[in-house]
Amino acid sequence: MNARAVAAWSACCLFVNLSTTNPVYKVMVLAAAVSVLAAGARLRRIRALLVAVLFIGTFAALLNFVSAHLGATVLFALPAQIPALGGPYTLEAMVFGAVGGITIAAAILSAAPFSLLLDSHEVMDALPAPLSRTGVAIAASLNLVPAVATSFIQVTDAQRLRGWKPRGPRSWMEVVVPVVLTSVEGSIQLAESMEARGFGSGARTTMAAHALRGSDWLVVAASGVALTAFAVAHATGWAADWFPYPTLTLPTIHPVPIAACLLLLTPVLVWRLRR
Amino acid sequence: MVAGPSGGGKSTLLRVFNGLVPHFHGGRIGGSAEVMGLNVIATPTRKMARHVGFVFQDPELQTVYNVVDREVAFGVENAGVPRRQISGRVEEALHAAGVAALVGRAVRTLSGGERQRVALASALAMRPSLVVLDEPTSQLDPDGAQMVLAAATNLVDEGRSVIISEHRLENLLRRAGGLFLVDRGIVNACDPSAWSPPAAPVRPARSAALGAEAWSLQRVSAGFDGRLVLDGVDLSGRSGEVVALTGPNGGGKTTLLRVIAGSLAPLFGSVWRRRGRVAYLPQNPTVLLHQPTVRAEVSFTLDRSGEAEPPGTILEELGLLPVADRYPRDLSCGERQRAALAAVLPGVPALVLLDEPTRGIDSSARDALVALVARLRDRGASVVLATHDDDLRNALADRVINVRDGKVSEMALAAST
Repeated sequence: MNARAVAAWSACCLFVNLSTTNPVYKVMVLAAAVSVLAAGARLRRIRALLVAVLFIGTFAALLNFVSAHLGATVLFALPAQIPALGGPYTLEAMVFGAVGGITIAAAILSAAPFSLLLDSHEVMDALPAPLSRTGVAIAASLNLVPAVATSFIQVTDAQRLRGWKPRGPRSWMEVVVPVVLTSVEGSIQLAESMEARGFGSGARTTMAAHALRGSDWLVVAASGVALTAFAVAHATGWAADWFPYPTLTLPTIHPVPIAACLLLLTPVLVWRLRR
Repeated sequence: MVAGPSGGGKSTLLRVFNGLVPHFHGGRIGGSAEVMGLNVIATPTRKMARHVGFVFQDPELQTVYNVVDREVAFGVENAGVPRRQISGRVEEALHAAGVAALVGRAVRTLSGGERQRVALASALAMRPSLVVLDEPTSQLDPDGAQMVLAAATNLVDEGRSVIISEHRLENLLRRAGGLFLVDRGIVNACDPSAWSPPAAPVRPARSAALGAEAWSLQRVSAGFDGRLVLDGVDLSGRSGEVVALTGPNGGGKTTLLRVIAGSLAPLFGSVWRRRGRVAYLPQNPTVLLHQPTVRAEVSFTLDRSGEAEPPGTILEELGLLPVADRYPRDLSCGERQRAALAAVLPGVPALVLLDEPTRGIDSSARDALVALVARLRDRGASVVLATHDDDLRNALADRVINVRDGKVSEMALAAST
C-alpha cells in the first residue's frame, strides 16, 4: 500500500481515538488497527509489538487504579496511612484506567504500519519534494540502527574477554564509549559515501512512482469519509463522550460513529481483494 | 593500480580523485589536481560525482537504502536525472557490475561480495568516466573478491578508467596499465611487469609439541534472531595447535569463534575450554579501541589480566612503536588492525581466537603476525583463526576446517589453498 494511503488511515485512526473518551469507539479503533496489522504482516512480526502494547496498556490501567482513589463503587480499601497506595480502590478508577490503556494501545498500533508494513524508503518517498533530502538523511540514519546494535554486541563480547565486568554505571563507559565512537565513525563513512554519489548537488528526482493506485485511493477516501463523519458526529453529539466518575455508566452509541469506525477496516478489505 | 604499506597514504591519494580530500575531510592541500578536465580543488565532491565513481572498503557502511535497485538509483536521483531514465540506468549499472539478478532484493540479505558489487553498480549508474575502488575486496571471501575484481576488469574492457588500491596485486597486475607505490606520502610510478609479489610468509618452525585438549564442542548448534547458524558441530583443539577456519562469508565462522570464546551460548550441545585468558579479535577490530593511545590499549589488557609483560614488547613485534602514543582511531585501516591485534594478544593467553586478522594489512605486517602467533603457539596457546588469507593459513595452520552452511568438515592442508 502506498505510504500516503497508510498515512491517511493512521491519521484517521488517531483522530477518532484521541478525539473521544467513549470506550466503544476506542475499542473499535484498536480492533481495526490489530486487524490491519494482522492482515498486512505476519503474526510473528507483530507478536512482539502486541506483547509490548499489552504490557504498556496494562501498566497504564494499573497506574490509574492504584493512584486515583475516586468513584462511588469501592472494591476494597487500604489504610490511609500507607503513602501513595492508601485509600479506597474503586471500580470507576479501574475502568477509567483500562480505557486509558486502550487509548495508548490504539495510538501505538495505529502508527505501527509505518514501521511494520512499509520500508523506510517508502515512507521517505511519500514525503513532499521540499522534504526529500531530509527524508533521505533519515532513511540513511535508519539503516545505521542495525549496525549500532551489532557494534554493541561486538564491543561487549570483546571487552568482556579483555577482563571487563559490569560493575555499576561507570564500568559501562568501557562499552558505551567504543559503541558511540564506532557509530559516529559509521555515520561519517556513510556521509562520505553519500557525498561521493552527489548527495546535495541540486534538485533530486526519484525513481519511485508516487501515484496512488485504485486501492490506495479507496483507503484514502474511506479514511477521509470516516474522519469527516466522526468529526460531524462529535460536533452534533451523536458520538457522545463518556466519563465513569462519580458512578459508572454504560457509554452511549450511535450508528454514524459506529459506521465511521467500521470504515477503518478498509485496508483489510483491500488486501483480501488483492489476494 | 595503487599499492603500498598500511598508513602510506593510499586512501588519501584515492580520495583526491573525487575531491573527498580536501572537501570532505578538510586539512591542507597544496599543488594542483585535475581529473577529467576538472580542477579538483575548486570543484565540490558532489559535482565530481558525475565524473568519478568511488567504491569504499566496507560494503556495509555505504548503503543508504535497503532495497538494491533504490540503492543503485541513489546517485542518479541526486544528479536530477528524469524519472523515466532512472530505471534504464539502474538496469545498465547492475548488469555492468554483474548483479542484474539482485533487482528488488533487500540489501541486508546479500553476501559481502554481492553488497560490494551493488556498491560498484551504484557508482556506475552515474556513468562515470573514472571508477576508483579503495581496497574493495579486503573484507570478502575469495569468491566474493573474484566477483568484484572481474566486474572491475570488465569496466576496463568497456573503455572506462579504473583506479584500484589493493594489497593482493597478483590477480590484477596482468591487466594493470600502471602501478603506483605509495609510501609515507610519496608516490612512485613502477612498471607493473617488473613488479614481483612479496614472498609468502615462511612457515615458522615449531619449538614445542602439541599439548592436551584445550577446547571442545560437542554437537553444538547455535544461532540468533531465529536463525540456525551452526548445526550439530563437533570440533576440538589442543594446546599449541593452530586451527584455521575457512569457508564463504556467512558460513558460520564468526559464530563458531564466538561459541568457542564463550560469548555466544549454544542452543544445543556443550562447550568446554580450559582455564585461562581468551584473546579474541572481533571481525571489526576497531570496536575494541577506546583508549587514548595504542600503548594504553595494550596496558589495559595486561592490567586486567595481571600480567607483567611490558607493552612495548608486542608493540615492537607488530611494528607499532612509531605510532604507540597516537590515538588508535586516527590510524589507517591497516594500522588499526595491528593496534587491535596488539590490544588482545599481549601476555600469555591460553586461547587465541582471531577473526580475519590480516584484513587490510600489508605483507610485512602479516609476516609479523605470523611470527607473533607462532610464538604464542609455542608457549602453549591454542589458536583458532578464521581467515580467507591462503598465505596466512599455509604459514600457520596445523588443521584446516571448512565452515559452510553451519556444518564443519576437515580439509587436507594442501586442498585448502
